[in-house]
Amino acid sequence: MRRILNAEWAGLLASIVVGAIVLAVVSPNFLSEFNFYVLLRSVCVSIIVAFAQMVTLAVGQMNLSVGALGGMTAILFGGMMEVFAVPLWLAVPIAITIGVLGGLVNGVLAARTGINGFIVTLATASAFTGVNLGLTKAVPFYKMPTALQDFGNGRIGALPFLLIAPLVVSPLLALFLFRLPIGRRLLAVGGNSQAAALSGISPGNAIVLAHCLSGFLAAIGAVLAVAQLGSAQPLIGSDWLLLSFAAPIIGGTALAGGYVSIIGAILAVLVIALIQNGLVLAKVDPYWVQFLLGALIVATISLNRWRARPIRLG
Amino acid sequence: MHLLSNAVRSAALAALSLPLLGGAAVASDNKIAVAPGGPHPYFAPWEQAAADAKKDFGIGDVEYKVPTDWKLELQTELLESLASQGFKGFGIFPGDPVGVNSTITELKGAGIPVAALGGCTVDPTDAVFCFATDPYKTTYTMTKALIAAMGGKGNIVHLTGLLIDTNTTLREQAVQKAVDETNGAVKLLQTVADTDAEEAGDQKINALLAAQKDQIDGIIGTAHITSEVAAKALRAIGDKRIKYIAFDDSPAVLAAVKDGFAQATFVQNPYGQAYIGAFALDLIASGACKMKADAPWIKTPQTAHFIDSGVLEVTPDKLATYKDDVKKLTTDIQSKFKATYMDCK
Amino acid sequence: MTDQVLEPLRRRPFVLGQQAGLVVILVLLGALFTSKSPGFLSSFNLFVLGRSLAIDIVIGFSQMVVLATGGMNLSVGSIGVCVVMLGGYLMQVVGLSVPIACALALVLGGGLGWLNGFTIARSGVNSFIVTLASANLFSGAMLIVTKATPLNALPRSVAAFGQMRIGGGWVSPMLAVAVAIGVALIIFYRYSVVGRQSLATGANERAAEMSGVPVGRRIIAAHALSGVLAGVAGLLTVARVGAAMPAVGGQDWLLPSFLGPVLGGAALAGGFVSVGGTMLGAALVTTIRSGLLVMGIGNFWLDLFLGLFLLAAVLLQRYRGALSPRFRVRGA
Repeated sequence: MRRILNAEWAGLLASIVVGAIVLAVVSPNFLSEFNFYVLLRSVCVSIIVAFAQMVTLAVGQMNLSVGALGGMTAILFGGMMEVFAVPLWLAVPIAITIGVLGGLVNGVLAARTGINGFIVTLATASAFTGVNLGLTKAVPFYKMPTALQDFGNGRIGALPFLLIAPLVVSPLLALFLFRLPIGRRLLAVGGNSQAAALSGISPGNAIVLAHCLSGFLAAIGAVLAVAQLGSAQPLIGSDWLLLSFAAPIIGGTALAGGYVSIIGAILAVLVIALIQNGLVLAKVDPYWVQFLLGALIVATISLNRWRARPIRLG
Repeated sequence: MHLLSNAVRSAALAALSLPLLGGAAVASDNKIAVAPGGPHPYFAPWEQAAADAKKDFGIGDVEYKVPTDWKLELQTELLESLASQGFKGFGIFPGDPVGVNSTITELKGAGIPVAALGGCTVDPTDAVFCFATDPYKTTYTMTKALIAAMGGKGNIVHLTGLLIDTNTTLREQAVQKAVDETNGAVKLLQTVADTDAEEAGDQKINALLAAQKDQIDGIIGTAHITSEVAAKALRAIGDKRIKYIAFDDSPAVLAAVKDGFAQATFVQNPYGQAYIGAFALDLIASGACKMKADAPWIKTPQTAHFIDSGVLEVTPDKLATYKDDVKKLTTDIQSKFKATYMDCK
Repeated sequence: MTDQVLEPLRRRPFVLGQQAGLVVILVLLGALFTSKSPGFLSSFNLFVLGRSLAIDIVIGFSQMVVLATGGMNLSVGSIGVCVVMLGGYLMQVVGLSVPIACALALVLGGGLGWLNGFTIARSGVNSFIVTLASANLFSGAMLIVTKATPLNALPRSVAAFGQMRIGGGWVSPMLAVAVAIGVALIIFYRYSVVGRQSLATGANERAAEMSGVPVGRRIIAAHALSGVLAGVAGLLTVARVGAAMPAVGGQDWLLPSFLGPVLGGAALAGGFVSVGGTMLGAALVTTIRSGLLVMGIGNFWLDLFLGLFLLAAVLLQRYRGALSPRFRVRGA
């Protein structure tokens, strides 16, 4: 218990608990099974997207193409099934491979050419969006396999099937970053790339690996999004960017690299989802939504800060 | 002597026969562009409409150009660039009903007419006309249809598009008006805006259903993607009690009407908007015609130069034929357009 | 004493190289596009390009001044739209004269920026988070107050300014404003103590603090300046569009605000910026976009070519720099 209270994400957890209580009072339907299902469903993709950015932040990089790569993967995924009748069990690994390749492009360009990762991923984001729109002309692919749609809509009680993805990915990612030597090297590079290089890890390779991982996660997010929406929409990923940064950072991941918090990122996604869910439940005037979102970010961070205030000795 | 009179006679015959051909297929070498405000499946028919207009009316070129994102600067940039490339007329869906006006004025100054298609610019505007669905009137009609389907009483929610779009404000007002007219029998529980995008819409609409499914008796969806998402959501929870009136004809919406999750959908006429728009713009750009000041304009809250492009209520029985009905509507409007709205030399 | 901490000069030769690279690429692209379509260099096209370039440059400056101190400002667009709506309100509803309305609106911009800076300096919270929250707060407050209603009955002089051409040529006065601000910023960073101390803060905050630089005050000043510049960009947009609209700014400004400075050589970690580079960077993006449009590159594929061109341009620049060993660049 002590450990939980001391963790840097305790503030977030407190916000979630407080927020949930407030919402339950304001709208009894908040506690209904269906609402929990809706809430959980809305975080599945977001958690993966947050991870996708988090792994690049870990090495001190940024991936501005997270949404664009997701969108492109989504339509290629949907397109190969609708147009070329590729079966679902084959389409998923192909889509994920596409994501990794996209990440590889980002990583190699960022690591080998010396161009700032910011510019690289900005340019590739534009390129991926171009491919996306060029192939679809803004028209979605509607005929997705029933199995996929059932996966996207199905649930056991309040738990959506989609939740399997973050439930599986989170511990695996934690294992990778915190236990496996290769993952720990990634974090080392982010923390201090010169020291890391001295201990025998090539920062360049770490950057490539991080970007590939980011692409991998973005692709998973894309496949989930297609399942959730029931169609391959070209606009998938278009609003991923801000969330992909906000969640990890609010959750405690260092912007400069070297330190990530998986639990923090998950909790941050939950807080944001709770806010958005709550605003609809509480029938907030649409004009107030944005303002309250900002106020709640302030409250969450303040809570965290207050909790972490230095204790004066003597 | 003979040859000359023969030639003269042939020329006279040729000259006489031109009016008989109805003046059609007089080729112009104008380049016209139809440009939406950004990528959106609603405008997909514009591409075919542009190609058909070019063929049927003998226009030099009619192209469908799309800005890569829903940002006003991108549309403005696109139009300005096309103008430098020699395009002579534009039919646009305004990226912003107010913001695009200064560009339209600039283009007018360069002798390039601009018409608003599918959505109107707000007066004062230099757009030569607005050929679209009337957002206020249509929403009002849709709400009335919903209230009727609900038996005249109950609670409704309104799902709509971008909060910063003036069309959205008009729609909200229209729903309110229809509700007020029931003298309290129908209540508007909530308006959820910014739902015209898949992911955001999915989240908000599902949250709404989770919160108030049992108190809602009717839903009205007044935006394209919104309607699609709501149709899917209702199907996913298997609800046929809630009456739902949707907008546009995406596959999910049509399926919902067919299977009883939606009572009806109101379909617009995107093909007609681009087709007839290009036709009119070509005539204006060549200087052959002007819009009549005293034409039977409709005055909407946005503009005084509105021409209705038509809206069709598609109930389950009309599913099979509605596409033909819309086509008929287009042909109908096009054949009467010149005579009704234009002054030609 | 503070001079010992300030060494932006050491990087100057490299930057000159980078800026020269950008100029070369711009010239090459210009030639390419003109050869494909003479309309590219037409007076009309240059005029409209110059106008949107002016706005992008000032948006870039707004972000640049914060990057200099090692932070970032995600509320650039939100402050912009608040200034726009206040300015419009003062002009149209209150009836103030245009210059006074603008001045007062800019005060708001500076004030909102100051709020950001003060919060960051006093609380120590990452500027990313603070400005993320404030972006939502400012935009949200604006929506609540204005109910998303645009103001399009502004005094005629506003739109007229947007349409004006200097000497009847292709230069818009808005471009002149942007360049003037650029010159002022160059002087600020090179010759004023405040400017140089701001850069020192970004380069190494602790070292700067220990050398006597009032780090907190510099951060606050940078954010306030950023707010004013965001306001200027907003007002320029009002002139261009002829109306005060709530749809201006917001998230749309985020990427352009980073693009110009970073392409121009600014360090994302702070401590180094290039005013000229920012302007050239913005010009590069504008040129590529306009050129692609003018070449009639298929509609939907535009962004793909934009991305590829951007990469090619930056690669070209990098390898130019790599060829001279003195200016070799370490990976960012």
